[in-house]
Amino acid sequence: MGASSSKLEKVLGDQFPEGERYFGLENFGNTCYCNSVLQALYFCVPFREQLLEYCGQKKPVAESEENLLTCLSELFTQINSQKKKTGVIAPKRFVQRVRKQNELFRSYMHQDAHEFLNFLLNELVDILVKEAQAANSNSGSHTSPEKVVGNGATNGLANGNHKEPVVTWVHKIFQGTLTNETRCLRCETITARDETFLDLSLDIEQNSSITSCLRNFSSTETLNAEDKFFCDKCCSLQEAQKRMKIKSPPRILALHLKRFKYIEQLGRYKKLSYRVVFPLELKLCNTTDDAPGSEAEYSLFAVVVHVGSGPNHGHYVSLVKSHNHWLFFDDENVEIIDESIVQTFFGSTQEYSNNTDHGYILFYESLDQKK
Amino acid sequence: MHRVGSTGNTANSTRPRKERRITYVLRDSNDSKHCSGINSITGPNGLKGDNGGEHLFSASRDGTLKRWELGGNEAVCGATFESHVDWVNDVVVTGDDTLVSCSSDTTLKTWKPFSDGECTRTFRQHSDYVTSLAAARHSNIVASGGLGREVFIWDLEAAMVPVAKAHNDANEDGTYEGDRAITSNNLVTAAPAQNLSQGYAPLPAKGHKESVYALAMNDTGSILVSGGTEKAVRVWDPRTGSKQMKLKGHTDNVRALLLDPTGRLCLSGSSDSMIRLWDLGQQRCIHSYAVHTDSVWAFASTPSFSHVYSGGRDSSVYLTDLSTRESILLCKEEHPVLRLALQGDQWLWAATTDSSLHKWPARERATSKTLQRASSFVAGSLPFARARANIDGSAPVPLYSQPTSVIPGTAGIVQHAILNDRRHVLTKDTAGIVKRWEITRGAVIEDYGKVNFEEKEKALFEKVSVPAWFTMDTRLGSMSVHLDTPQCFSAEMYAVDLHVPGASDELKLNIGQETLRGLLAHWLTHRLVKPVAPSTPKGDVSPGLSSGVGELGSNRRTTLDDSQHEPNSQQTRVLPSFEFSTQSPPSIITEGSQGGPWRKKATELNGTEDEKELPSWCIDCVLHGRISQRENAKCSFYLHPYEGQTITVLTQGKLSAPRILRILKVKNYVLEKLLLERPLEENGSDANAPAGQQAGGNANGKGNNVFRPGSKSWPQGTKPVVEILCNDQVLPPDMSLATVRAYVWKKPEDLYLHYRTVPSL
Repeated sequence: MGASSSKLEKVLGDQFPEGERYFGLENFGNTCYCNSVLQALYFCVPFREQLLEYCGQKKPVAESEENLLTCLSELFTQINSQKKKTGVIAPKRFVQRVRKQNELFRSYMHQDAHEFLNFLLNELVDILVKEAQAANSNSGSHTSPEKVVGNGATNGLANGNHKEPVVTWVHKIFQGTLTNETRCLRCETITARDETFLDLSLDIEQNSSITSCLRNFSSTETLNAEDKFFCDKCCSLQEAQKRMKIKSPPRILALHLKRFKYIEQLGRYKKLSYRVVFPLELKLCNTTDDAPGSEAEYSLFAVVVHVGSGPNHGHYVSLVKSHNHWLFFDDENVEIIDESIVQTFFGSTQEYSNNTDHGYILFYESLDQKK
Repeated sequence: MHRVGSTGNTANSTRPRKERRITYVLRDSNDSKHCSGINSITGPNGLKGDNGGEHLFSASRDGTLKRWELGGNEAVCGATFESHVDWVNDVVVTGDDTLVSCSSDTTLKTWKPFSDGECTRTFRQHSDYVTSLAAARHSNIVASGGLGREVFIWDLEAAMVPVAKAHNDANEDGTYEGDRAITSNNLVTAAPAQNLSQGYAPLPAKGHKESVYALAMNDTGSILVSGGTEKAVRVWDPRTGSKQMKLKGHTDNVRALLLDPTGRLCLSGSSDSMIRLWDLGQQRCIHSYAVHTDSVWAFASTPSFSHVYSGGRDSSVYLTDLSTRESILLCKEEHPVLRLALQGDQWLWAATTDSSLHKWPARERATSKTLQRASSFVAGSLPFARARANIDGSAPVPLYSQPTSVIPGTAGIVQHAILNDRRHVLTKDTAGIVKRWEITRGAVIEDYGKVNFEEKEKALFEKVSVPAWFTMDTRLGSMSVHLDTPQCFSAEMYAVDLHVPGASDELKLNIGQETLRGLLAHWLTHRLVKPVAPSTPKGDVSPGLSSGVGELGSNRRTTLDDSQHEPNSQQTRVLPSFEFSTQSPPSIITEGSQGGPWRKKATELNGTEDEKELPSWCIDCVLHGRISQRENAKCSFYLHPYEGQTITVLTQGKLSAPRILRILKVKNYVLEKLLLERPLEENGSDANAPAGQQAGGNANGKGNNVFRPGSKSWPQGTKPVVEILCNDQVLPPDMSLATVRAYVWKKPEDLYLHYRTVPSL
């Protein structure tokens, strides 16, 4: 591995980006699900910057106060502050923390990378929300009198009854809003309900593309027959059409391809090796008309790849784009690859194929917010 | 007098079903107005009534149809056609004297148009809402279209032949059910079925992929067009039911269709806001008109087919010259336009989601001068062209601002809230008027005017817990109250609270039972032909009722007692709180044991209706006083001394009492116990044997805890004051156990009450 690292340095040579570190991550026994996601997140620049900043602000914490957020920010800081440009790091404390926190990841079994990403992001949100609330209640004695003077009783009521949801930097990076539109087919009134998401899980089809998967995601469903919609305007059950649209696209769009499908006849999950083309540049088509930047454009910067033919075994690697170079991370190993290699991870058109490396989680960065 | 209901066909009886439900529909006005939006109107079509005047028929979301006599300046309601149990979606006149309607209740009905509302036939062929009808002016052919891809073509002359009569006498009342299995699956077997005892089967127009929302047929009945969520216009030959063509072009649901008399030209209106003109000969769209800014829902045209009136979701009615594409805004309604109908060539009637009908001058009435001052525009051929024009501020000014005449409707109820006592309902109608109703007698008891509904609801909030004994909806613009057994018998109240004269303190009434009695009072008086001996007031004839504090621990069902002791006496007497109006009586909707649902005014029941028409549980209740009461009429609780009290435990076991038992009674119970054990001193010694030992360990509280009425009374001025507490809260004496449970105890476990004495003055 040392050889490959120095090889990478050689290949990049003068082009090696200033201040950037490319480090492999040691595997502690089937922890590739964790390593692949960590690499993708490390090269999610806004996310990394927040964590480095967090570590800078925070005093060193006692082991008792240690949590996933502190462990992750320390790990990122550790990578970032390496003297060498390349090498291998053991994310020991972080993995230990994950195993302590969640039973699911405690075993040395193969785990689902998407489930891990989900767990990690939600855990970070929880910690940040708690911190924000603690900070609020600490400073509460100072701020609340001013508020009362400013806004009178109404403010006090609002504070007491329903708290504004805390918007953390994790939200600011990953959170988007979906809107669930239902149109009554009788009076044609549209009822909309919003919900937030940190990533989108997409159903996939053979020989399709991300754009078509997204279109299916927003396709219209008709509520009819025994399953009619109660229209408030008509005061009765009527046929209705329902669809999901993206109301506010997130800064980082994480797309999870549902490659693991439960097959009823088999009584178990099966991996779908379908070829699903993911473009390097993505235009979101299923946004609402009034969404800000309804033609949101995204650029692919990381792919978590599942290697193997089944859901319960296999391997995870990741592809990452950094400073216009594509890199391949496989636990300890880091290699530079050509952009054209990315398309070998789309999937296969035949069910049994030698190529079992399939894109599983895609990370897109919004081009609008980059400017 | 029309009768609908039973039939020999038991097509649905194989599927297991719940006990039949009974629904009553309340209105606070007389019968001469619609109380919800009007889905369809049909002009007289040369049809003359007895008086030779002109008529208009309207089909409303309130579930009824009405005939309007247009003779004088004001249209008068000539008849109400009441039998559908859901929205009436369309109405057509066919042949010489047949009115056909279709409804969301999945039926088609035929009526005698100039009768007093006589329903001649009910056809149950569709399996989902029937949304639209189309009739050929010069024949008896009617097409019906509905949700779930169903379109049927009916030869009404053949359908009306009472073939079924010979087969089954039950059909004499005019209900007919086609054999769905045959007609919908196989045309070949359906045809001979006409000659068999199965009766008439309509011709299905098969091939629709989605729901049908619009139909049209030409005068001779040679062309049928259909439209719906498929976005395409389909063309059929109604004589064979075969597909002719499919016309694509609209980008959203097709909601309105119109054929010219020859059947060569077809107009379609869509939710994509466009009007398209199709040449069926060339099988293509020859014009598209961007006139409306929202969905197009209605058309009307003179036979010449040179101009078209169109209305829709944007509440506007436009008149468009189909050849020059010149369009003018005729008028702007206040509500989305659902249907347009011409009266001759002089007047245009518009039906909207409001309950009133408006008459506007038609093109022929407008002088060329008026037409000149109209701000006309040339309809574009691309969608949203008009929408853009509106944004530009060049919105056309309506030619007429006021309708020539109005057939008023009443404001329909659009919002409701069942109050906590479950006897009162707060409603808001389309005019924003908020009213409070007493649901057990269907009357408005307070009119609050235009106030904020939510605030009023909050102001009327009471900490009272009564089981939900009814459900309701307002889809008919009025309140439909649904009673299902046994839930409808789950709520009781004390007769004294309803100021029943002579009722004992303990007499309990079952709200559902009393309401049913009130509702079916008319039926009952006709039913009981023999006069019943005058009865003693209810309170006096109930020795079986537990009296006094004896209610505690008594497990007897008072209602059973009622039925035992007064088999016949009370049935015709209705308490004022359950007396429904006979002026504007509620309508009863229920399902016969063999046929589909029917609807009739409560006052039109003549007593002959039996299990075939009315649910048997309902008859049992009203006629025999038998109800299936749920166990939850009781509430179990523990009664313990309050912390720090020196008086000892009265009972250790669990007690059981009616849910509506008041805290006052619990107080009396404690007092009586104290009286029994320590009649002379308030603070007994700790050593005193607990009275509750009598009940010793009887955890069910059944049997032994019955109190022996004591004849002793407290010496004057020494009566201790007892307080009952729950969760450290002193309970008001008029609170019921159910309310304590719901608002003070707030836990699913058995209720714990505590008592303590306070020094009396």
